[in-house]
Amino acid sequence: MSLVFKPEETFRGDYTYRNSDAAILRFPFPFPEDRYMYSVNIEPHVRSGPTDAFCRPFDIDEHYIAECRDRALTLEQDPGRCQVLPHMMTAQWDTLELLMENMAADYPEQFSLTKEGDVFGSRWTWINRPLGIEQQFIFGDPDTLPCEPFEYITRQAQGDFAICDQREDNLYLDAGMITSQADWSLEFNVGMNFMEWHGPVPLAHQAGVFERALKYLLMLRLGQPVRRLNWTMSINPRLDTSPESYPAWGPDRASVTVENAGGKVHLRVELQTLWRLPRSNAILFPIRCFLISIEELARVPKWGKRLHRVLSSLPPELAEYKGLTRYLPATLAWLAPLDDGAELATGTGPDITELAPV
Amino acid sequence: MMQSQIVSRPRYRELAAEDTAGAHLLIVEGDTLAPGQMAALAAAFAPVADRLQTWLVSAPATALALGKVRKLQTVDEAAAALDALQEGFGIADRLYLQGTEPFMWSLATVAGRAGLSASQIRMQHAGSLKRRVWCTHCHQTTENVTTNIATCAGCGRELLVRDHFSRRLGAFMGVMVDAEVPGEVPQREEVFP
Amino acid sequence: MIGETLELTVVAVDDIAPSLRHVRLAAADGGQLPPAAAGANIQLRLQGEARTWRNAYSLISQPGRRDEYEIIVRRVPESRGGSAFVHEVLKPGDRLVASWPGNLFAPQRTARHHLMIAGGIGITPFLSYVADFAHNGTSHALHVCCRESETGTFAPWLQACGDLNYYWDADGHRLDIPALLAQQPAGTHLYVCGPAALNDEVIQAAADAGWPASHVHCEHFGAALSGGTPFTAFLSRSGIEVEVGESESLLEAIERIGATAPCLCRGGACGVCVTGVLEGEPEHRDHYLGAAEREGGQLIMPCVSRARSARLVLDL
Repeated sequence: MSLVFKPEETFRGDYTYRNSDAAILRFPFPFPEDRYMYSVNIEPHVRSGPTDAFCRPFDIDEHYIAECRDRALTLEQDPGRCQVLPHMMTAQWDTLELLMENMAADYPEQFSLTKEGDVFGSRWTWINRPLGIEQQFIFGDPDTLPCEPFEYITRQAQGDFAICDQREDNLYLDAGMITSQADWSLEFNVGMNFMEWHGPVPLAHQAGVFERALKYLLMLRLGQPVRRLNWTMSINPRLDTSPESYPAWGPDRASVTVENAGGKVHLRVELQTLWRLPRSNAILFPIRCFLISIEELARVPKWGKRLHRVLSSLPPELAEYKGLTRYLPATLAWLAPLDDGAELATGTGPDITELAPV
Repeated sequence: MMQSQIVSRPRYRELAAEDTAGAHLLIVEGDTLAPGQMAALAAAFAPVADRLQTWLVSAPATALALGKVRKLQTVDEAAAALDALQEGFGIADRLYLQGTEPFMWSLATVAGRAGLSASQIRMQHAGSLKRRVWCTHCHQTTENVTTNIATCAGCGRELLVRDHFSRRLGAFMGVMVDAEVPGEVPQREEVFP
Repeated sequence: MIGETLELTVVAVDDIAPSLRHVRLAAADGGQLPPAAAGANIQLRLQGEARTWRNAYSLISQPGRRDEYEIIVRRVPESRGGSAFVHEVLKPGDRLVASWPGNLFAPQRTARHHLMIAGGIGITPFLSYVADFAHNGTSHALHVCCRESETGTFAPWLQACGDLNYYWDADGHRLDIPALLAQQPAGTHLYVCGPAALNDEVIQAAADAGWPASHVHCEHFGAALSGGTPFTAFLSRSGIEVEVGESESLLEAIERIGATAPCLCRGGACGVCVTGVLEGEPEHRDHYLGAAEREGGQLIMPCVSRARSARLVLDL
């Protein structure tokens, strides 16, 4: 896939973010069936999947440059969106190595990594052409980078990243670069264990989902990453829907009407992957966020109809937890005319290879 | 409201001395002591009395305590005293805390910085259910909150006090209650008396 | 960095003591190996003439090294055969299939001080620990119980160790475990790896002294006895019956007939191979199942556990 970046698009202010036809068709649509409920929907993160967005360990798309810029803006206003507890330095280097190796291997036109050795103390050279960066540094020596290694590499990647330290048969959220989150606060959650940071999620605890997921993740193996999808909705293509900036984006929720819902209401899908890190034995948790307006989404007929059905049958607790309650009626009213009630094939793929012109 | 479905919420239980060979430090928020409670603690800690220090914070002058007793005026004074412990903590030591949540977590945080692990700290809630509330927007904390909605001491926003709790901050999360529709603030009620 | 198995070539074998063989392994295709953490192990498939062994060995190479893995294999007198194979048959140039590194004994990154106690060949995971701590400048101490003649054997891997102490079985040279454990500061994590008797003694002494269990870590290695009286296992789902011989584990017998069983540590620690028991009485030898689960008799860890009854019916 050749990458044509759209460096000027924005995720705030005038919100010029849009998806190309190709970006719509590769969207990781999360609903295989007409109803949605929590499950331990974890599968191996292999180089294949229902759309192209699943096919590389760390996906990069047309929004790469714009997203990196939006992250930099958020960090400028609130440096606390990147937090790393002191015992996580080895895991920081693990993350940098994993990202650089995979980005360079999958996108050789954009990135390159040259190593004079593999162990700590070796000289490495990193080139990021889209962002115009060339950096020589000593692997394992944070003083040879402009900032700590985790912040350095995640400023050059799409999606949020958390690192979990594994101890006492639990996972602790001990590092994060979180600037495009679905309404959770890194500053508040940093240092929490797996059960604590999932505390506010309704229904799933009672179903035992987190106990099973934790048990599974504790045994996660090096070389065998896994993935799952999570979803919510956002008003406007806004990456920074943090609780910190809720006063700025909260009012948007009250601005949705049946007329403007198609362009304003966005499905927000997180392709979450989990990686055992080699030197630290920690777990890297990349949360790659994909945004699509329901107008764009509905250009895939199957997806527009299915979204209508999922949202119609969503348990009210979940709608409330995801913050949809206020604008759900307008969204459903916008989607309803597109849904003819026809039976839809199971699965998340678009089932078409080309979009009809608008 | 001590019981909650939100599992980030700590659970507290009645204090009992763990008979380890290390030193035992019991810190009690004195003005939360109900009649007879000190006697109950004395019975609970009798097995380790020879290795026990009791710190009474803001206690009535008449309060009796077990072991080597030290009296302190405020939680800040107690925190400073913990911080200043010359010899530091040993791996077999235990810290026991009794009082309101803000009191206990203020001290637990200091002890954690001194190297004590969570598994060496025991807590029993006593007294008011008042909360320390951390504002997600300005990151300041507001003390002594007893209502479901509180005015942030930092930015003045009206905050909905959630059950989500951070041990690191010793505080509950507060989120602007009328961000979506300014002025739409529900009735304020005393729910953490 | 995605994969499950590695093709390795034996680069060199040398005997560093009468019963200890040092083996160096590289990727068979000449490429890079996955990096591994302190405390990691790999599972080697050792293909003998009549049978196959799958044994897990701690990596003693410098953490993160990607050109070579190193292991040290002790020849166990009552060996199930894997260690004898390494000592008698394995030679440079041989090919081996191995798992990607796993880690069930990683150091605790939050520790302020790492206190390690090794018994005999149980020192192997600590060789990579020491390299990690030395690089990170983390406070640590290693206490090694071994034969007096073996105190120099591991020196090449311990040059960076900040606080190294040897003990052996002679008056004035034995490790006083309670005394060592009595005076440790808060934030210390204790690790023990050695024969079962040493592990048990250290764990008990730590509990007696009031150490929180969260700060005490143990790796049960190697000679977890998996052999014993032969018995029959019936795999109810596949309808296959298998005879479990006296020198093979239940898991090995299941694998021998071509059935696939999930597993990781092959030492009764990780819980991955846990299997339902439909009939018969298990003889539990693992470190994973809780007391209630053992008494319930409905679960078994086939990598180490066997049968008290002549026949077990498994939900497999």
